[in-house]
Amino acid sequence: MPDLIPVTILTGYLGAGKTTLLNRILTEQHGKKYAVIINEFGELGVDNDLVVDSDEEVFEMNNGCICCTVRGDLIRIIGGLMKRTQKFDGIIVETTGLANPAPVAQTFFVDEDVKAKTRLDAIVTVVDAKHLQARLADSPEAADQIAFADVIVLNKLDLVTPEELAAIEVLIRNINRYAEIHHATRGNVDVTKLLGLNAFDLGRVLESVPDFLEEDSHTHNEHLNSISLALDAPLDPEKFNAWIGHILQSQGQNILRTKGILSYKNEDRRFAFQAVHMIADGDFVAPWKASDKRTSRIVFIGRDLNRPQLRRGFESCAA
Amino acid sequence: MSDFDALLKARGVTENLGANITAGVFNRAGRHAAFALGDGNLCLSDGHGWSRMKAHVGAILALAADSTPNGFLSGGDDGKFQRIAIDGSPTEIAGFGMKWVENIASFAHPKSGLLACTVGKFVHLFQADGRKLRSLTHPSTVSGIAFDAKGKRIAAAHYNGASLWFTASTSETPRVFEWKGSHLGIAIHPLGEAIVTAMQENALHGWTLPEGKHMRMSGYPSKTESFGFTKSGKYLATGGADAIVLWPFFGGGPMGKPPLELGMSDGAFIKRIACHPEFEVVAAGFDDGSVIVADIMKDKILPVCGPGRGTITALAWNASGSHLALGTEGGFAALVDFSKQS
Repeated sequence: MPDLIPVTILTGYLGAGKTTLLNRILTEQHGKKYAVIINEFGELGVDNDLVVDSDEEVFEMNNGCICCTVRGDLIRIIGGLMKRTQKFDGIIVETTGLANPAPVAQTFFVDEDVKAKTRLDAIVTVVDAKHLQARLADSPEAADQIAFADVIVLNKLDLVTPEELAAIEVLIRNINRYAEIHHATRGNVDVTKLLGLNAFDLGRVLESVPDFLEEDSHTHNEHLNSISLALDAPLDPEKFNAWIGHILQSQGQNILRTKGILSYKNEDRRFAFQAVHMIADGDFVAPWKASDKRTSRIVFIGRDLNRPQLRRGFESCAA
Repeated sequence: MSDFDALLKARGVTENLGANITAGVFNRAGRHAAFALGDGNLCLSDGHGWSRMKAHVGAILALAADSTPNGFLSGGDDGKFQRIAIDGSPTEIAGFGMKWVENIASFAHPKSGLLACTVGKFVHLFQADGRKLRSLTHPSTVSGIAFDAKGKRIAAAHYNGASLWFTASTSETPRVFEWKGSHLGIAIHPLGEAIVTAMQENALHGWTLPEGKHMRMSGYPSKTESFGFTKSGKYLATGGADAIVLWPFFGGGPMGKPPLELGMSDGAFIKRIACHPEFEVVAAGFDDGSVIVADIMKDKILPVCGPGRGTITALAWNASGSHLALGTEGGFAALVDFSKQS
């Protein structure tokens, strides 16, 4: 495998503090070189990094998949960045506040040239603790951005009481149980908690899923919800592919993200599966350790998820 | 070593340029070749010596022959569009700040030469002396431009189709050819009979001129990054497959006609295509580093160099077709002499 450059997608609703966080990332002495692709050219500290100004240009792929939208500007810019002799430690893609994260994430699954040079590291969503409740009430994008996140930076904590914070975390967890949440004021999060996570490698994230969260809490945001399923019996890859293919084809518009770490029959390596809407990708990753319990786990984040149906389907993939 | 390098050894001049090559062209006089590098350097050679100058701060993204006989044009991610004289001295034609200059084209004419570059959604059009003529606006970023053979029109590829502008007109509205999707590179038929774009979806799309009838050319295993019409306009030579795919633009083609396939490789894909300026001959560069020249009429393949030096990223004939320039991602550059030798 060549060294793929990790890409972090930075989303967050207008005013959540994305630019402040980005400035912090860029000015911190981390000794790394990042390329930053932004849409609104603000007051960024750009000493050691390359900032590329871009329009969010989304187009639909002519591949028969209705929700397969892609950011053509990213394909072009990443192609251009790869022409540089000096390589980057990472690429950060900032989306506009109202953006749906799906097209930017799907770009990293769909384009062969982009896939050959980069890997999606994590989707980081900045959330304004003070105004989250109002945003969730008035804009579906805010909920989608939380649903897509691997990491959530819960920002502006100085503006809320501990009780309000607790209530906000419940709101977030109702949408996305599996993102890591970092607390912040003016974006003061350790950069190492945001970049180079390999969150799409997933193992660590899924293994740390707290089981007590598995009880449904029934305070859904437009039924946006996340569920996780586990299976101790090894899976039959063909059965799994047939099942997940059918699920994503038929429900992919409602399923924002799918992530899984799977134990296949007669296979010592873990299989990492991920999808954004209908666009799926998967690969073998590090082998199970001798001490590991080989439990396959899969997480769905989306609207109107039918947990019993998904569970039955997943269990039917046992070898 | 294999015989695949025989021609390179016998008739080539080679050099390791030390950085990834992003493009290579000859000037219009055909005596000098320029190679653009990912570190912002430009290397010039007349087949004897090599010179090098820092042309851009970041990567050189675009390179073309100037409209004058000797110079070159370059564009970079430093937002500069400049002319490079044969001694390597650069002159800035225009600067665009943070925006990238991604595509360049020129049209040579003793009186009415033209230069063009793309920056985001704009095609900027200049006179040969660098004076700005006008800026053409498009609905989305322009990813390819081409002048027609007479310099009367310039075509631009973008989302959902292509736009065709008259260069001498001041009209704000181009003729738009629509087809849904992301269109990348673009070419105009040498006799002005068609426009063709390469698409994101491993296919090409075309429109007949003047009717605007659709042509769809698909079946590629990867994106067609490079393509062009042969000298006569009879064939559209395309990369993106493991052989040179030649679509017939005669006898009612390409619709309903299978393309010719020449120079089938052993699993490598074609990244660069260069049509010979005089004959129905096409050079093709593969992602394994090999280069072949195919004679369409004689159905003959001539190996120019074998694999192993990195993906071919630069491939160009000079104006008379006597020399072929090639360059790779690994920084290997060569000029190969195809002229008759006594």
